Amino acid sequence: MTRKEIVIIHPRPSSIVAALYTLRDLNVDVAIMHGPPGCSFKHARLLEEDGIHVVTTGLEENSFVFGGHDRLVKLIKKSIELFNPKVIGVVGTCASMIIGEEMHEAVLEANPDIPVIEVEVHAGYPDNTKGVLYALKSALDAKIIDHKEFERQEYLLAKATDIEKRFGAASREYLAPSRGDIKYKVAKRVIQLIKEGKKGLIIMNAKKETGYMFADITLAVNEVAATLGIQKNLINMANIDTMLGLPRVRQHAEYIMRDLKAHGIEVHEIIGGMDEYPITGEKVSELVKDKYDDYDFAVITGVPHAIPMENIKHMELISITNGPRQVLPLKEMGHEHVLVEIDLHPKTLGVSKIVESEFGATLREIAKEA
Amino acid sequence: MKNQKIIAIYGKGGIGKSSTASNIAAACAEAGNKVMIIGCDPKSDSSITLLRGVRIPTILDLLREDMDVKEKNVVFEGYAGVKCVETGGPEPGIGCAGRGIIVAIQKLKSISGDLLKEQDLIIYDVPGDIVCGGFVAPVRKGFVNEAYIMTSGEYMPLYAANNICKGLSKIGMPLSGIICNSRNASREEEIVAKFAEEICSQLMTFIPKKSIVQDCEREGYSVMEKAPNSDIAEIYRKLGKAILENEKKNTSNSLSDKRLRELTK
Ligand SMILES: Nc1ncnc2c1ncn2[C@@H]1O[C@H](COP(=O)(O)OP(=O)(O)OP(=O)(O)O)[C@@H](O)[C@H]1O
Ligand code: SF4
Ligand SMILES: [Mg+2]
Repeated sequence: MTRKEIVIIHPRPSSIVAALYTLRDLNVDVAIMHGPPGCSFKHARLLEEDGIHVVTTGLEENSFVFGGHDRLVKLIKKSIELFNPKVIGVVGTCASMIIGEEMHEAVLEANPDIPVIEVEVHAGYPDNTKGVLYALKSALDAKIIDHKEFERQEYLLAKATDIEKRFGAASREYLAPSRGDIKYKVAKRVIQLIKEGKKGLIIMNAKKETGYMFADITLAVNEVAATLGIQKNLINMANIDTMLGLPRVRQHAEYIMRDLKAHGIEVHEIIGGMDEYPITGEKVSELVKDKYDDYDFAVITGVPHAIPMENIKHMELISITNGPRQVLPLKEMGHEHVLVEIDLHPKTLGVSKIVESEFGATLREIAKEA
Repeated sequence: MKNQKIIAIYGKGGIGKSSTASNIAAACAEAGNKVMIIGCDPKSDSSITLLRGVRIPTILDLLREDMDVKEKNVVFEGYAGVKCVETGGPEPGIGCAGRGIIVAIQKLKSISGDLLKEQDLIIYDVPGDIVCGGFVAPVRKGFVNEAYIMTSGEYMPLYAANNICKGLSKIGMPLSGIICNSRNASREEEIVAKFAEEICSQLMTFIPKKSIVQDCEREGYSVMEKAPNSDIAEIYRKLGKAILENEKKNTSNSLSDKRLRELTK
């Protein structure tokens, strides 16, 4: 018997929301939340931007006491009527799970003639990846994904959880949020490095759709270097393998690849799929050791803390994350400049092309002045 | 796949479910069956007489301490090899016992899936008062495949039994039989037999009220272990056998309040 880990006191992403995003990745048309009206509101709203309908049974005091079975049956039927979906998801919440709601019974009673992914989840898991796992498990049961993909995802999740615990937002009892360094100053520094003819690695290791914005930084650095006429000093790496991951995730990789190509940017090293951000680190590390050991700086976007420090610590590191609680851990790892793209995620939902980042825009502006 | 019996016995609080369950478990195990008893009561008193009065750590005891729960920490072998498990629960008046049962049985399923599959008979011992959704989780999660109701011939236990019938049919759980545990009410066997008939079920057996049950219990034993030659031990053996062989299952009817009154008059 082993004692479990530290108690983290800063609020963090919930398993319910993680399940909702996973259902989106599984291309579910409607996600029905069985819970209180305001549960997961902010993310439910954002997901609608991504083309998935999110509805709630809106359990209130009386349903807590008497159960919400009938509401769920009605809502399943209504959702089918309203949205004519091909696949739906039903997601539990703390409220419905505590009172012992049996969502499966409601599904049986509503008896829809389309597949239903039932996710018995609540927000009370320390690792929000539980929500992803449960959703995938149900998708496996509903034969929406196969065993191989499930195992692949399970492995990736375990790695992601591990990375968050070691170097991420779950690494410490409390992490204060931070906006990171001033973008203007860091942009100047990057341009200076390029001007001095320093050799740089531009590594995008993005989590799924966040890549739409992180790719803009790859784009901007390359544009700036091209303007200065020294693009050859840059090597681009990105986790945009178009053959890996759930269909939706591959699609993101395709769009991003297309846009980069359209700008004439070559991705020299594909380091994995867009859901492989927790495992690309080793690959990057090896590449650096074998081929790019003499590079002077690296701009790392997305999940920079997943890249082992060992082979890059001699470079000047410029990291861009979208997690305000990630700044401190990155600094402690030895990243010299850490930037935060505030509110990145909402801007990358529902899009199918690269969107402008603040750091990218800053780089471009300063390059004009120079 | 073998014909596995996974039963739950419902009935008014204090009617004798736990003591009967542990005696049946012991009787069936003595007869060579693999038997497990899973106590789903925060009181954790289901298996105590199979373990010579010793309390075992419950699943929730360990979960509360954030332990990594393993089979060997929560499944204990009692008299005649009966596997004993207690879900446990929070202190009375604190937290949510219903959620506790859900979490505990899911945990058990995840750590002891193979062991559960091996058994010939699994008895889920639930408390008398099903106060919320959690207490029917073993049934609703599809773990239990047969339900029995225990009652005496007194009015209140029958009233409770009748309500349970309503509840079972509401959740689509068929009823496999009625067990009469006597409290020395007048015309007891006749009344309970009639009740069973009218709700379209069957009376499995009539267990007399015998002080030996309580005497053994006081010393921390089941009747099967301490008084194997008593008449009531023989009744438990027969009941165990009848349950293992029972094929009958009916969606139960329930009686109107008026009819129930008439029946018990
Ligand atoms: N046939 C019997 N003769 C005499 N005493 C009995 C008999 N059956 C049960 N008892 C006694 O009745 C008491 C209550 O029994 P038990 O705890 O098994 O009831 P229960 O239905 O499990 O209660 P709860 O609903 O609280 O879980 C015990 O002391 C038990 O020994
Ligand atoms: S406590 Fe749980 S059910 Fe309630 S709003 Fe928060 S996440 Fe939703
Ligand atoms: Mg009991």
